[in-house]
Amino acid sequence: MHVDNLPAGGTAPPDTDTGPAGRPPVVTARGVTKTYGRTRALTGVDLEVRAGEVLGLVGHNGAGKSTLMRVLAGLEPCDAGTVLVHGAKASAGDFRTVRMAYQETSLCPDLTVAENMWVSSRHCLPRLRWRRAASDAVGRRLDEMFPGHGVSPRDRVEDLSLARRQMVEIARACLVDRLDLLILDEPTESLGPDAARSLYAYVRRLTEAGTAVLLISHRIREVLSVADRVAVLRDGAVTAERPASGLSEPDVLGLMGAHVAAAPTFGAPAAAGTAARETVAELLGATGPGLREVTLRVGRGEVVGLAGLAGQGQQEVLERLWRPVRRDTTVGVSRAYVPGDRQRSGVLPLWSVGDNLIVTALRGIARRGLRRPAEERAVVADWVKRLSIRGGAEAGITELSGGNQQKVIVARAFASPAGLVLLDDPFRGVDVHTKTDLYGLIRQEAAKGRSVVWYSSENAEMAHCDRVYVFRAGRVVAELTGEEISEERIIGVSFAEKGEDD
Amino acid sequence: MAQLLAPALPGRARMRRSAPAAVSAVALIVMIGVCSSLQPGVLTVEGLTLVLSATVPLVIAAQAQMTLMAVGDIDLGIGNFVGLVTVVSATLLVSSPLTGVLVLAGLVAAYAVLGFLIHLRQVPALIATLGASFVWLGLGLFLLPTPGGTTPEWLASFGAWQPAGFPAPLLPIVVVALLVYLLSARSALGVRMRGLGSNPVVLRRAGLRPVTSRVVAYAAAGVLGVLSGLVLASQTGGGDVSSASSYTLMTVAAVILGGGSFAGGTAVPWGAAVGGVTLGLVSVVLSLLDVRSDMQSAVQGVIVLAVLAGRVVVGKVLR
Repeated sequence: MHVDNLPAGGTAPPDTDTGPAGRPPVVTARGVTKTYGRTRALTGVDLEVRAGEVLGLVGHNGAGKSTLMRVLAGLEPCDAGTVLVHGAKASAGDFRTVRMAYQETSLCPDLTVAENMWVSSRHCLPRLRWRRAASDAVGRRLDEMFPGHGVSPRDRVEDLSLARRQMVEIARACLVDRLDLLILDEPTESLGPDAARSLYAYVRRLTEAGTAVLLISHRIREVLSVADRVAVLRDGAVTAERPASGLSEPDVLGLMGAHVAAAPTFGAPAAAGTAARETVAELLGATGPGLREVTLRVGRGEVVGLAGLAGQGQQEVLERLWRPVRRDTTVGVSRAYVPGDRQRSGVLPLWSVGDNLIVTALRGIARRGLRRPAEERAVVADWVKRLSIRGGAEAGITELSGGNQQKVIVARAFASPAGLVLLDDPFRGVDVHTKTDLYGLIRQEAAKGRSVVWYSSENAEMAHCDRVYVFRAGRVVAELTGEEISEERIIGVSFAEKGEDD
Repeated sequence: MAQLLAPALPGRARMRRSAPAAVSAVALIVMIGVCSSLQPGVLTVEGLTLVLSATVPLVIAAQAQMTLMAVGDIDLGIGNFVGLVTVVSATLLVSSPLTGVLVLAGLVAAYAVLGFLIHLRQVPALIATLGASFVWLGLGLFLLPTPGGTTPEWLASFGAWQPAGFPAPLLPIVVVALLVYLLSARSALGVRMRGLGSNPVVLRRAGLRPVTSRVVAYAAAGVLGVLSGLVLASQTGGGDVSSASSYTLMTVAAVILGGGSFAGGTAVPWGAAVGGVTLGLVSVVLSLLDVRSDMQSAVQGVIVLAVLAGRVVVGKVLR
């Protein structure tokens, strides 16, 4: 079987002393441009990925990262410029040794894990008994990369959790007889900290064996700790390329063009007077699948955070508040929901930005069941301007970048008259700029008397909340208010007494 | 807790997927029970042969429908197609066997071409197969304007075959389901077909041509449609282009009963077989119960809805 290309220990590269800088480039992009319709996604990219190095690629959403990846992986031709593989102009077949793990995964949900391996790695599998070979190979690769992954090759992908799907996706990308360049697109967005650590350990072993790795991530600290070099993509071109050692997070943010806001400067959360607020929703001892004796309350105009490790009951609480069918949940106001998985449950792909934005507010604007287009347009125009959504109201939603799509979905909830807005980790994979805009929006709307319940997998975001409930194993283990809310504190509470529940 | 739950999940998921077929299998057993209480002879080999034989062409046609539903399409022409095959086998296959065989092969090729055009022009399969159904109807009326004709001897003797020990109709039902299972669930081609129904983008990224998957699925559906028509002709002893027009929607119902979905991506050959037999048996039970023939369709519909409701309830419980 050819799929197990990697020697267990990893062979040392022949030229260890020269370091990655002296090694030959695996993939080189020269003056690459790419235009979609009216948007110029890439305006002339020069980039070199050398054998045995980890190159970190950072940039805002919409800077052209995804497009550049597709061009480097040979999925799309570029309009002008050249992509060289091993120094020669590449034709379609040469990209076989360049593999990419997609952020949204590139797996068929209805097929089993082993069948998905056949789809992407069939060149390296025997014609007969391929199912057995694929199962063995993916099982072994997963064991190597993510010990204790809990995935069976016979599982269907749709039955796996988001984190496990991501593991399978990364294993899928690595399953090939010869791997020159591995592109990882936001690999750790859905992975837990343990899995992320094992992934990066594996990446190290890959590069020691001479494979190049291109890492794209919004988590700049992570990029800096793993990458040898960092390239900054801005407005469709590489604006900076630096060695990672010696760079700090603010340096990179500065290179990306962010106005580094060290501390949230917009409306500091009002810590005082939370008890005095009128209650709009509460859970009293809610118990059920994934929840144990959860009691929490949401006041009018309050931003309540649900924190903790992923999958500890936060989403179940949102579900209860969204559909308060049980007696232990009381919600006194209308609700709007912002899903985290925008591809699956967020956007209406055939509709324009305006239609997507107004769909929840439609009923409130309409009079006697008839729509009022002029008023709708005014509301849409207001939101498009307020959040500076690129492309305007008439653009198709799928033409927008991920960050801008997310803005539309958040705006949809806030454009409705709902008194309680539920956020289900909506800012995953969204750039710093957009996030800052949306944090500001949340505070503004809360000041107007809206209540927000906000689940986030990123603990730093919780600093924008008035009150935070920290979850562990379906229980509320801590309630933090005002000054108490800090990343360190949340992490401390989330992990404390961990052995007890497992 | 998550770690404890994890190993239990796939088993539960597998149970949830086979639940629809299990529900219709229960309905099937109940119906055979009702039949045997009314007519004790049903539980003998001859009785089961009689009861099951009417379901065989429907079950094979349901496999054709299932193959297309696995790639995310739907076939609204299968009923008339099966009818056309009965007409061909009652006319050309008797008068000049070679021409007849060639025409049947041509019909399979026509299905493959249909799939190719649907893919090439990005027409919804719903509309293209509906259009094709009128073509099949027209061809059938052209060949044999009024029902009649005779079936070739070999076909008639297959229809009259009575082996000892087991009901003859079980053999074609199981063999066809097994072949479709091998194609759609076990083979690499089947992975490509289901991959197309599940996520065509992935196929393209992996360098597989989605058009191949679609053409293979349509060709397979054509072969199964021809088989279904031949079996139907062997039972009726003649050709009638509109004899199977009810199959179009019955096959869709059979696939749904068996656990398939309109979204594509899943192949349920065994489920489709169970669903097809269940649906076919409903009319047998109703005749045994002396339900007036003008009411039979309505009652049949209610029973199908009840089984589907049972499927939904079981799915909810298992979620």
